Amino acid sequence: MWKTNLKVMMVGVGVIGFYTVVARIIPQLQSDVPESIDLSSGVTPEVLTAAGETLYSGAGGCTACHGLGTRAPNLLTDHAGEGTIGQRCGEREPGVDCKTYLHNSLVDPGSYLVDGFTPIMPDASRQLSNDQLWAIVAFLQSQGGDVTVTAADVGSGETASGAGAAGGAGAAGGGTFSATTDPGQLLTENACIACHAIDGAGPPIGPSFDGVGSRLSAAEIRASILDPNATVSEGFEQFAGTMPTTFGQQLSAQQLEAIVQFLAERR
Amino acid sequence: MIDFLPVIQAAGEGAAAYGDFPGVGGRGAVWIAAEVHLMFAAFVLGVPMFAVITELIGIVVKDERYDKLSKEFTRLLVFAYSATALWGGLLLFFLTTLYPRFWGHLAEIFSLSMWIYAGLFFIESFTLYLYYYGWDRWSVGRAKWGHWGLGILLNVWGTTVMFIANGWLTYMMSPPEGTTVQGLPEGVGLWAALANATWMPINIHRLIANAVFGGAIVAAYAAYRFLSSTDPKERAHYDWMGYVGTFIAISTFIVLPFAGYWLGREIYEYNQQMGITMMGGFMSWLWIVQAILIGVLFLAANYYLWTGMGRIPGAERFQPYTKWMLLVLVVCWIAWGTPNTMIASRAEFAAMGGNRHPFLGVLGVMSAKNTAVNIMILTTFLSFMMYRRANKRPTVTWAKTGSLVQTLMFAGAAIVVLFYGVYGYFVPTIVRIGFSVYQVLAVLACIIGVTVIDVLLLRGAESRGEIRWGEMPERSQYAIFVLAVTFTWLMGLMGFARSGIRQHWHVWEVMRDTSDQAFTPALGYAANMISVCVVIFLALVAFIFWLGGLAERGISKKAHPMAAAMPAGAPAAPEA
Repeated sequence: MWKTNLKVMMVGVGVIGFYTVVARIIPQLQSDVPESIDLSSGVTPEVLTAAGETLYSGAGGCTACHGLGTRAPNLLTDHAGEGTIGQRCGEREPGVDCKTYLHNSLVDPGSYLVDGFTPIMPDASRQLSNDQLWAIVAFLQSQGGDVTVTAADVGSGETASGAGAAGGAGAAGGGTFSATTDPGQLLTENACIACHAIDGAGPPIGPSFDGVGSRLSAAEIRASILDPNATVSEGFEQFAGTMPTTFGQQLSAQQLEAIVQFLAERR
Repeated sequence: MIDFLPVIQAAGEGAAAYGDFPGVGGRGAVWIAAEVHLMFAAFVLGVPMFAVITELIGIVVKDERYDKLSKEFTRLLVFAYSATALWGGLLLFFLTTLYPRFWGHLAEIFSLSMWIYAGLFFIESFTLYLYYYGWDRWSVGRAKWGHWGLGILLNVWGTTVMFIANGWLTYMMSPPEGTTVQGLPEGVGLWAALANATWMPINIHRLIANAVFGGAIVAAYAAYRFLSSTDPKERAHYDWMGYVGTFIAISTFIVLPFAGYWLGREIYEYNQQMGITMMGGFMSWLWIVQAILIGVLFLAANYYLWTGMGRIPGAERFQPYTKWMLLVLVVCWIAWGTPNTMIASRAEFAAMGGNRHPFLGVLGVMSAKNTAVNIMILTTFLSFMMYRRANKRPTVTWAKTGSLVQTLMFAGAAIVVLFYGVYGYFVPTIVRIGFSVYQVLAVLACIIGVTVIDVLLLRGAESRGEIRWGEMPERSQYAIFVLAVTFTWLMGLMGFARSGIRQHWHVWEVMRDTSDQAFTPALGYAANMISVCVVIFLALVAFIFWLGGLAERGISKKAHPMAAAMPAGAPAAPEA
């Protein structure tokens, strides 16, 4: 009897082990969360391009179709003798410059459908924030062309697709309820005033916002939002660990900066 | 002070969006609890389907063997039910403590359906107990039909419970348009959230998959009992039971891909990006692993049928063909398992002249894969027809013509599949995709047509000899174990695919996963988790099987006090 049990067990373990080994020896691809771009230090074309490259070949999911030559046009290599995407983007549509063409192609993919392909691409603003979209535009421009995306483009959420940009910011925020940059609204929406007093009113779970600008620099305020447990204010040790550590993911760069500037001015 | 209460609560909620679990983390804990619960749920939903079908056959053909088989299925259910509920409870506790924000969101929308779910679960449990414990009391006449009605009710409750739970999980994949983290948009109710875009395809897919899974596990139970027994009568019974379980598992499995196509199409229609992530994005290699698993399933199923033909008089005439069928299966398996594009270094790309291998790359495209899988289905169906025809000699006047038409149907289907497979290389992608429909239709038409002719052809057929149930080589039973383990692992793999395509979203494009485990892991990590789940599930199932045997020994000793004293291998009347 024990022989039968042993044989059955060996067959089971052998089969499970075989599948596990097969799944482990094939290429290991992980799907990462799209990185948010920090605009606090002033974005440069190089920063945008680098961030765009990461998104393009990673969480943006672009390579699932672009580059195989079957589902969507090649972007990083020649397509139909027109060169790489940076070389051809300015020539694709009369009167439409390169970066507008690329941005529109991301937020309204059906608008410039390339001959020979079907309209299968989704609106990228449903997955990516406005910053991330412009980063991808910058990266694509860098493929054989000049990067003309600037901090002003990134900052103007209404540039090519107001709805798309707003949706993207909301999506990137996840827990964020809107794309607003109004600091008062942001402090309410993100429940900051549930713990921090402002204008003399509110609970004393976290340090008061009144006079915070005289106690902390803008950089320190930003750091304490992004990593609230790094430094605990004197007198609030008992509430250490209460503040969520997810605001870096929830807030867009503009929203974060709006809150930082607002608080830094409260002296 | 009163004003502070909601404030403190809000602060607490903010801090506890995610909990942690030692060792495997929150995601790992939920993964294991959900997967093992799902495996048990599939078992307790799949087995009642056979129970009522085999009980009905027993009533209609007045063969007690079927009734005994049905009751044996149901005895396993009683034990498996507790395990399902325990793992479901564990999953609920994990979700509420490790993902409170997400669980709060689900509860906000689905609370009413959750209460109904719990209520139905109670009703289902009581129906099962009535069904099992009333078996001998309601065994004749009208009472037997009433008992069978309880079996039907058991299936109805179980299927409804599954449909409700499917509504929750498919909502995570395809929430109604306009849904936000605060809830459903105005004017959209609970029903719309439950009956979302991927709900019915998942319902149908799971219904069929449960039948496959239930069949495979029941067959494994029979195989174990076969191997453990030295009593020829018992071995004959479990040989037959293993065959029935395997037959149901394989025949329903052949239909499963069509439900899978429907689900895939709905996913693409709901969101192209989700579909592309599933089939062409970071998950594309998952389908290579799936191809390897399904190849093993086909090989094991055919091997079981071929060895089974050894106990059927007249099957010798088919033996010479099996080696060629094996060759066809292996070639198709290799083609199906060939990746489309290679992940390689720059030097390797340069050597290959692109991201596709100059020779193997041809096999990696959809034309070759669709052709391979359809030929494998046809080959397996041919094995089954050989098995079915082995000990029969048709007596109808049109027997030769009928057999010729059947042969032509096989040949015709194979030609259609091969033709479109080759032609697919010379047409654009969008045209090529449509070819798979013709290939599938040709195979389905062949299966239906050949089966119908066969049923008519074998009416009043002469027997070349009775099947010698129980005289099965032991190695054939290990093929059944390979099938059961592979089906279980495949279920875990497909669960990862379905859940993983949401990537870093709890609810697709509505609620983002902001935890440190928001990334979707690579297949290697997923394989480890799947294997852990499979080992836990199979270990518990083995325990349940052991309990089943223990209970039966107790019953048989009470019913037949002399049975225990009888020597093993005592002469017994053949069952079949």
